[in-house]
Formats: sequence, C-alpha cells, structure tokens
Amino acid sequence: MLTYFRNIGQGIMTIVSSMAIAGRHLFTPSVTLQYPKEKWLLPERSRMRLMNKIEDCIGCGQCARSCPTECILVKTEKRGKEEAPVFASDGTAKKLRTYVFDIDMALCCYCGLCTFACPTQCLIMTGEYEYSVYDKDEHIYHFAAEKPLTVAGESRQNPPEG
Amino acid sequence: MEVDYSGDIMTLNMGPQHPSTHGVLRLELKTDGEIVADAVPHIGYLHRCFEKHVENVDYAGVVPFTDRMDYCAAMNMELGYVLTVEKLMGIEVNNRVRCLRIIMAELSRIASHLIAAGTYGNDIGSFTPFLWCFRDRETILDFFEETSGARLLYNYNWIGGLMHDIKPGLEEKIIEFIDYFEPEVDNLNRLLSDNFIFIKRTAGVGILSPEQAVSYGVTGPNLRGSGVKFDVRREEPYLGYEDYEFDIPVGLGEHGPVGSCWDRYMVRIREVKESCKIVRQAVARLTPGDVREAVPKRIKPPAGEVYMRTECPRGELGYLLVSDGSLKPYRLKVKSPCFTVMSAFREVSRGAMIADVVSILGSFDIVLGEIDR
Ligand code: SF4
Ligand code: SF4
Repeated sequence: MLTYFRNIGQGIMTIVSSMAIAGRHLFTPSVTLQYPKEKWLLPERSRMRLMNKIEDCIGCGQCARSCPTECILVKTEKRGKEEAPVFASDGTAKKLRTYVFDIDMALCCYCGLCTFACPTQCLIMTGEYEYSVYDKDEHIYHFAAEKPLTVAGESRQNPPEG
Repeated sequence: MEVDYSGDIMTLNMGPQHPSTHGVLRLELKTDGEIVADAVPHIGYLHRCFEKHVENVDYAGVVPFTDRMDYCAAMNMELGYVLTVEKLMGIEVNNRVRCLRIIMAELSRIASHLIAAGTYGNDIGSFTPFLWCFRDRETILDFFEETSGARLLYNYNWIGGLMHDIKPGLEEKIIEFIDYFEPEVDNLNRLLSDNFIFIKRTAGVGILSPEQAVSYGVTGPNLRGSGVKFDVRREEPYLGYEDYEFDIPVGLGEHGPVGSCWDRYMVRIREVKESCKIVRQAVARLTPGDVREAVPKRIKPPAGEVYMRTECPRGELGYLLVSDGSLKPYRLKVKSPCFTVMSAFREVSRGAMIADVVSILGSFDIVLGEIDR
C-alpha cells in the first residue's frame, strides 16, 4: 500500500521536474517556416532536378551508362561529313547528333553519379524541387533539340539494350 | 478441481501498419489474456531485392542502393560497402578522407541514436523528447546537406574517396554543434532517461541475457546493453579507429537486471557522448588533402571474395562481396544487425505483457529497410 502511494508521488514529481525542463521552451522563438510563402535557402550543392544544357552535350552517353536506375535515354546518330562542324562551349567537337535525351525524374534516385560522369559538365543537378505533376509521364523531361536525319533504324542507342 | 485455461489463446496481428513497428512489420501475437504467449515476427513487406539487384549495377552505382537499406544511418551503410570494395581492390585512402569518413560516420551515429531515443520515448508515451531529438538531428542533417547535397540518402562515400570535400569552415561549425550538443544530452537524460515513469515502463522489461544475446548473434548497442563489451571499432579497427580514445558503454543494470530495455536505451545515449569525443579528435586530426585522390577511373576489382565488417549504429554490418573480375559484383551479401536481433525478439517477448511488446520492439531500434533489404 505504501509503495502504491510512493509510486504515485514519484510519478507526479517526475512529471513536474520534466515540465520544468520542457517549460523553458515556452519562451524560445518559433522556428516554423510558412512554407509556400517563406522558403528555405538551399545549399549550393543541393541535388534536386536534373538539367542538361543540351548545347554542350556531345551525346557520349556516359551519363546513361553510369546511372544505376537507367533513367536516362540517349539516342544519337553520326553527323554527316559534309555538315558544318558543331562545337560545345568548351571546344569539344559534337560529332554525334543527339536527337533523344530523356530523363525520367520519377525513376531517378538523385544520386548525382551522372553529373560526375559527364565529360563536358553539361548535366547538372539544380536546386529546383517544386515540380510535382498530375501525370507520371510528365516527369520525363525531353532535352534533345535536334531531329534525326537518318531513319531511326541506323541510329545508335545508349545504353545498348539487353 | 482443476481448470484448464490453456485453450484461451487469441491471435492478434500487430502491424504491418502499426506506428510502433517503425516500418512495415507484422507481429503475430498469441495472447493469453494480457500475456504474450508467443510473438512471431513476419518480415518481408519492404523487400526490394537489394542483393539480387546490385548484381546488375556497376560497383559505384551500388552505393546509392546501400543508402536505402538503413535510411536512418545511410552514411554508415555506404561506409561499410566502400570499405569492402577498397579492401578487395587494395586501395589506400589518405588521412583527410579517413578523418572525414570518421566524422561523418560518427555524426550519422549521433543522428541515428537520436532517432532511436526520440521514437522510443514516443512509443512509451512522451512526445517532447522526440521533438528535441529531431531538432538536434536537423543540425547534423544540415551539415550533411551542405557537404553532399542530400539530407538523407547521401551517396557521399565513394570507392576510393569522397564525393566532395567539406566546405571551408564546416569544421568549426561541427565543433560548435558538439559544444552545444553535449550538455543537451544531459538535458535529455533529465527529461527522459531518469524519468520515473519511463524507467517503470522499460527497466526489468524484455530482458536479454548476455548468453542469449551472444547465442543469437545480436550485435551493437543491443549486445552491449546486455553487458557484453564488444564493438567492432575496437575488436577489428578500420579507418584508424585504434588511434582514437573512446569508451565502449555497456549496460550496467542500474534499474533491475542487466539487459533490460532501459539498458539498451541508455547504451545509445552514452554512445552519443562517445561519438562526440571521436568527432572532436577527428576534427583535430584533419590534414589538407585531395578527397578524390584514390578514386579509380574504372572500378574493376580482381576476382576474389572479401568480407568486411563495420560498426553501424545498429550493430555489426557485414558485407560479403564476391567478384568475378568484371565491372559488376558477382554477389553481395549483407549481414544486417537488425535481422539478427529480430530473431531474438521472439524469445525476449515471450511472457511479456502486450503493452511491453511495444517497449521491447522500440528498444531494439530496428529499421525495416535493412531487415528486408
Ligand atoms: S542522379 Fe543518379 S539516378 Fe538520377 S539520372 Fe543521375 S545517375 Fe541516374
Ligand atoms: S555525359 Fe554529358 S555530354 Fe555525355 S551524353 Fe550525358 S549529358 Fe551529354
């Protein structure tokens, strides 16, 4: 019987002392961000949506090969000999015409491996994180700007299927 | 006259969507009134075929998948894997990489133990410590985000190095945080660990004796909570842990027999303090250097088999890697600490009250992502 009341007493005491510790926080300022109105400043290395500066992309397919989830699809074809040479901004000759460069951001695991594989640093991860859509297919971003000249059957595809 | 009551066994399913199972785990409880006669854990709800899947991914691409095993301590998961591959390839990393890896691993251990303590308090019924723990964990995640760009799944440890060097000035911020954080642990102790109600709910409950713990192969804080002084960082040091000064806290049984839920919980809290010590020493040992110095151009380990174990927050994490000399792992087997402790769960919870099952499960600090893989 005595133990019973002692337990109750100790229970109350422990709550009071805990409340005293927790109570100090009543006077600290609030840290809540009113999200759509206020936004958090992201650090510059933030890894969010991928972006490809397609003018600089040489179509080498290194990114697609290094991607663990295979969410990048690159399709290229050789430029003809008679065509005027095209260069990326760092001077690398663009020998291949990239006519498909799709990234499925719904499959991407945001690991960033593709950005390190890219020889011309044209594939980067931006700080953009507000891109929810209603349809999953809208998460496939098409970056390629050029159209293929040859029939699709002659084109090279990276990574090779199978 | 004798009455046989043993027929009154009721089967009760706890989970898979139960808040205290910390993931999707189903416990099939055979209850005899309030008493649990048997508790069978059913796992596999989060199975993602990790081990099979990585056989089709190149070595560098496996790292993001290891992150997703134990998402509460992703840094330590990666670390174990990259050390395994480095051991097979014979890569030596420089001092800066070693120190940074230790800093990150120990910060991650602190963050993970904070989740463990916070959610455990939450399971038992006190919500305030949960918020406090998450507040401090947030600061650690900010460090990780600033360094690697991600808050939870970092892909920061690379085979042969690190993704990025830390930003200049981060060392001071880390030390500042540790200075602030160490007294906070005492606050947490006063708030939760020494709370009379908390002790009543956890001490003397779910006793895992040292013999049981060893025979079930339980590792990490759960083993040390039973009073067995075993830590892979001491027994089989990696990354130069042998040069660091730190204690290995064990359960002392202040409240009731050794190996109770309270002991396991308290080991984590004490380990947080030891991690703080290690971080301080590692920051003091940082020397300039290139963190990607030893990253190989092509990761193609020789054919062979290697096993490497590291101490992750939940126990001993082992990777068995079999390579056939190609660009992809032939086989990668993970020895997960939570899986082994789950096997001891049935024995520990037999004879406990239903409400104590929550307490026992919380004290094991399991992460289902790692059990199921
Ligand atoms: S971030 Fe990772 S998953 Fe996403 S596209 Fe790049 S390599 Fe693939
Ligand atoms: S690695 Fe870079 S240059 Fe090569 S295809 Fe990918 S984005 Fe283009």
